[in-house]
Amino acid sequence: MTVLQSPSPSLIARLTGRRAHATRTDQTIVLLRDVTMRYPNGKEALQHVDLVVPEGDFVFLVGPSGAGKSTLMKLLIRDELATHGDVIVDGYDLARIRRRQVPRVRRKIGIVFQDFKLLPRKTVWENVAFALEVTGTPGRQVRPAVERVLAVVGLTGQSTQLPAQLSGGELQRTAIARALVHDPRIIIADEPTGNLDPVISWELIQLLLRINELGVTILMATHDAEVVTALRKRVVALEDGRVIRDETGATYHRED
Amino acid sequence: MIPFVLFSLRRAWQGFWRNALMSLAATLTMVLMLSLLAGFFVLQNVLLASLSFVEQKVQVEAWIENNATQDQVDALLARVGAMPEVGSVEFVSRDQALQHFREVEAAQGHADLTQALDSNPLYASVNVKLRHPSDLSTVTAALRDDPIVRNVVNIEALVDRVLTVTTVVRTAGVVLVVIVGLIVLFIVVNTIRLAVVARAEEIEIMRLVGASDAFIRWPFVFEGAFVGLMGALITLGLLAAGAEPLSRAMVGFFNVLPLQLGSVGRDTAILVLGTGIGLGVLGSWVSVRTYLIR
Repeated sequence: MTVLQSPSPSLIARLTGRRAHATRTDQTIVLLRDVTMRYPNGKEALQHVDLVVPEGDFVFLVGPSGAGKSTLMKLLIRDELATHGDVIVDGYDLARIRRRQVPRVRRKIGIVFQDFKLLPRKTVWENVAFALEVTGTPGRQVRPAVERVLAVVGLTGQSTQLPAQLSGGELQRTAIARALVHDPRIIIADEPTGNLDPVISWELIQLLLRINELGVTILMATHDAEVVTALRKRVVALEDGRVIRDETGATYHRED
Repeated sequence: MIPFVLFSLRRAWQGFWRNALMSLAATLTMVLMLSLLAGFFVLQNVLLASLSFVEQKVQVEAWIENNATQDQVDALLARVGAMPEVGSVEFVSRDQALQHFREVEAAQGHADLTQALDSNPLYASVNVKLRHPSDLSTVTAALRDDPIVRNVVNIEALVDRVLTVTTVVRTAGVVLVVIVGLIVLFIVVNTIRLAVVARAEEIEIMRLVGASDAFIRWPFVFEGAFVGLMGALITLGLLAAGAEPLSRAMVGFFNVLPLQLGSVGRDTAILVLGTGIGLGVLGSWVSVRTYLIR
């Protein structure tokens, strides 16, 4: 993969919708305060979790399967509501906003999954444009926005291909392009490299780092100890629904 | 608003053709179910028409005194004919009655015994056709009150029996159509649910990228309406094609029973179109609800 060149300030401005170098660490994008999540079957997926993510941060969320990583992400996109405590994303208290505001908050969050969740009958271009079309974006704004994000992830040449014709890395980059197309303030990635081989994983991490440099906060759940350890970013470790570690520049060794 | 409707229609159209197999299955189910419903609806109408034909056969016969004057008879005819319960009134003179009696006897192959009589033994009569058999007692009473009426032929037991039978048959017909309607409702809604479930992933993605409920729901609702419309049109086509040979085959039957089926064709078309589109919309609405924001 071509490692992205340092983008021009105007690209940053257009991509983030903010000033260049707008990585304002004084602003909190995600705030969890004493969050407990108990499922109807009685299982406590999260217990008294506190987490503050300043805007522009790059956070690895690590921990064994069942530690609560997926639950935490579901809370952030308000797919679930916390049993107790506050979940605040970009200033919205997710327990208090009205139902109709939920889509608005979700547009500020780009979501990337391990299994890509692309529509198999749509081309790369259509998959990315889909996110804009179903949110009522006027037609004339769709084309430039899609072109822009496809350029960011380096898929301009593959825009007319169907998912079946793409490699794993290209699939995930398509998903990232789709996540970026709403100019989100945060990207939540749930094991984005889980289905990719190590070399491709590294390329993907490079892409996420680049996007992070553009001012977009990244919250990435992963099992990939090598990546986490090498990057020395902030690491939040979950175990049995509790935060057992929250360090910057930390390493991670898989115990599971 | 208009861009949103256009968007929904376009997405509905795409959704229909991109999932052609599911759409075809849903449309086919719709056709079968609507045909079933239309069939029962037409049967019910034939049944109702037959019943009212039978009911119109009920007529009250009042014998008139032999010494009644023409003026008195005319007054009676006018008075009874003006009653709202009465369909038509007919005067049968003594000569007509005798002639009718002879015709009936001759038709049955009996010898004409009236030749042996020196005078006409029959009374003139007023025959009253009722609009509905349940008005029998009112009309009977009105006839009895008249001084020139000698006797009103008692057909109460017969009318009671006719009314019992027609009421039972009518109720059974309505119950049957309602049951068929419910079966159609559940099968169609379920088929559309399958078509929606087949696209759960698409809906999931729409939710995750921040599509509002309206943007998720309406394309599916339009698609359901489209399936209903297609199903209804195909059903009506089949019915129109089948109506001609069917009625030709039954022409003998209908000649015997001159049924009043004037508006059944139009009513069936309205029923099929309305039910098709209505069920399509309902099915999609209910099915998509499951996937909307909790």
